Amino acid sequence: MIKKLIIGLVVGGVLVGLTRIFEFPVIFQMMFFGYAMLGAVVFMVLDAPALKPMGGIKSVIFVVAFYIVLCTVYIAGASIWPQYDPQDEKGKIDKILKPKFDKTQQGKAEELIARAKALDEQVKALTVRLKALGGDEATKGPAVGGSGAPAATTGAATGDFMKLGEEQWQLQECYNCHKLKGEGGKKRGPELDNIGTYLTVDEIKLKILDPKSYMAEGFEKEWEKGKMPDKYKDLMEENDVVALASWLGTFKNTAVPTPKPIKKK
Amino acid sequence: MKTWQRSLVAACALLALFGGVAYAQAPGASPVDFPYTGNRTAVWIVAQLHILFAAFILGAPMFVVMSEWLGYRKQEPRYDRLAKEVTKVTVILYSMTALTGGLFIFVLLATYPQFTTWFINQFYLVFAVIYPALFISETILLYLYFYTWDAWKGEKKSRHIALGVLLNLVGLITLFVINGPTSFMNTPVKAEGVSPEVFLATASLWDKVANYSWMPLNLHRIVGNVTFGGFVAGMIAAYMYMGAKKDEERAYYDWMGFVGNLIGVGAMLFLPFMGYLLAYELCDYDASICPYMMADQLSMFFEMQGAMIGLMFLASNYYIWLSMKRIEGADKVRMTILAPIVMVLLPLVMTKVMTDYPVPDPMSLAFLLPLILAPFMLGRFIPYTVSARTVIKVGFLMVVVGDAIWLTPHGFVPTGAKMVAELELPSDWNFLALMPAKNSAAFTLVFVTVVNYVIYNRAIRQGTIVWGKIDFVSQFVLIFLAFSSIWTMGLMGAVRSLLRKYYHTYNLLPDFTAESFTPTLSSSAWWITGITVVFFAVVSFAILVTLRPSDSKGHAPEASPVPARAK
Repeated sequence: MIKKLIIGLVVGGVLVGLTRIFEFPVIFQMMFFGYAMLGAVVFMVLDAPALKPMGGIKSVIFVVAFYIVLCTVYIAGASIWPQYDPQDEKGKIDKILKPKFDKTQQGKAEELIARAKALDEQVKALTVRLKALGGDEATKGPAVGGSGAPAATTGAATGDFMKLGEEQWQLQECYNCHKLKGEGGKKRGPELDNIGTYLTVDEIKLKILDPKSYMAEGFEKEWEKGKMPDKYKDLMEENDVVALASWLGTFKNTAVPTPKPIKKK
Repeated sequence: MKTWQRSLVAACALLALFGGVAYAQAPGASPVDFPYTGNRTAVWIVAQLHILFAAFILGAPMFVVMSEWLGYRKQEPRYDRLAKEVTKVTVILYSMTALTGGLFIFVLLATYPQFTTWFINQFYLVFAVIYPALFISETILLYLYFYTWDAWKGEKKSRHIALGVLLNLVGLITLFVINGPTSFMNTPVKAEGVSPEVFLATASLWDKVANYSWMPLNLHRIVGNVTFGGFVAGMIAAYMYMGAKKDEERAYYDWMGFVGNLIGVGAMLFLPFMGYLLAYELCDYDASICPYMMADQLSMFFEMQGAMIGLMFLASNYYIWLSMKRIEGADKVRMTILAPIVMVLLPLVMTKVMTDYPVPDPMSLAFLLPLILAPFMLGRFIPYTVSARTVIKVGFLMVVVGDAIWLTPHGFVPTGAKMVAELELPSDWNFLALMPAKNSAAFTLVFVTVVNYVIYNRAIRQGTIVWGKIDFVSQFVLIFLAFSSIWTMGLMGAVRSLLRKYYHTYNLLPDFTAESFTPTLSSSAWWITGITVVFFAVVSFAILVTLRPSDSKGHAPEASPVPARAK
């Protein structure tokens, strides 16, 4: 037993040393040490003395205890892995499903109720203002802003539109297949930092809505297999697709080897 | 349970089914709020329990009829006894399947009335006609099979076996039929360039049933059910072995445990490949499912799955090791040196070959088949041999290596979006986290287990099995395998359901409720454990009721220490 434990510790030590040399993060070094210890335990169990037979109440107690150990180990085992925080997803889901929900009967009814409530609040507020200030003051309200306002609104709107595009990138989880700004992607799809040089906003939009319309050079197999899902035309709102395409169209980093798109349709 | 009680349970289940269908047509039903668990978890618990019982009642009859046939062919009563004892438990659990099925429909209707109505309308013919008809047929056949056991023996045995085959056929068809709607929720029919709603409106029932993941799910569930049935039979044997008071009883239940484990492990060898096929088809249906499973929200569920499968392969090989110890003369068995060499080389060679020729490129087979077959084809021409003990120990080492490869993740993060260098594999070693490496790990586990069974087979031909004298710890191994396989089944069932993300039916019918998010692995583990414990409590009760030791009086001694080659 002791000999096997020592061998396990030595093998674990060697694995930690090697993983350090190859610059594995500490967590992986610990994991490899754990594998070595698992091996040691396995070989210790193989040559362990036989368990004496038991029966009656003693065996029942042992079986129940064994189940308790299994339950504890499995729950604890599942809990030590990194946990995905559902809160990260909840906001995303709300944003993705809201337009769909709004289109449903229940959604429409809820929206009408919400609007009615908001209007009611506004009426109440206006009534209070009218009572306090008189009718002349209240009519001046719409003139606030002046001639410079539309320009400021346009600039803010453009910024918001780009933000919406970036948000769509996150919501639709495009990063799972495409690398952008050095983040995301597992070579499932082309890197997109220079896509704005090759495609116009309308062309990018076409590619999103109809993935077979363009093929990235070097991604022939993926294109033939239809790896890019043909679902965004059904899942995304028109405005969201335009926002995403417009945002992607701003990426013109020629230093990144974005593969050239070839028109197929 | 008496016949009238069973009939009552079956009638209740059918009432629930038809009542459910009728309730589903009631307009404007609003969902209830399930206390404590919430609606989704309530459905999860009942559905998973139903699937566990259903899996057993479909899986067990497959090897029951095989066992009965073996008993008939070899004229060995212990095979017949095994078949009958497992059938007794199956009959009780059949009632539980019907009960939980009815409960499932009620809970689903109460919690998600709009979706359930829509869903039943999509598959009205299946839910209202085909499935009930098959269910009734299966009920009749199962009770007929059970109650004619003693009457149809001797010359009529072949008739009884034919009835068992028919029972299995109906069971399989039932499984295939109900897998249609189940798989539809993951991969609804679609066509390029047409919106899912539009295409669905024109799709026939067959189009909806024969969707992308239907056949992979059928295959996966058949193999899974046999594995599950085998391991539960092993568990039954372990309980009975522990409670046995006579040597011949212990000998019989030792043998039964071995057979159950053999069937469980034999089917489990195919399970990783069936799972891979299902995952492959799901990814082929929609490539965004793949990262969600393997690199994003569910990646840690697959880490847990890797750990569970690794433990199960270790346990099943440990059981072979313990079984070898009770064979007198097993130490004389030797095997070609090619076997341990191939075991050691397999993960390396297979990772390289499958990287160069990824699935489904058949070129990989040109390299891998000769390597895998070498010990069996060329072994006799190589004069160097090693002891069985050495081969098995090298095998254990490679099972640990295989587990390690399977378990090594790309990064210790719950989602790819949170990947940082301190938690990520160095890029030169990233291949350890890719599919070729994972495939090689799975194949190494399977190869080692096959070699171990080949050695075991040689040992029983050259030695003498002393049934009933196995190390007592083996009974805990059998219980462990049953519990772990069911737990893993619960885990992977959760994964398959969660793949629909925030949809009831993927990309087609959104789930607008507040519960349509991916739960944490930790909270999922609590529920899976709870469901497994409830299932085990019911199965343990069923075993106690049907096979308590007083029932086993009067059996002729079926197994005694005899030279195995004499069989």
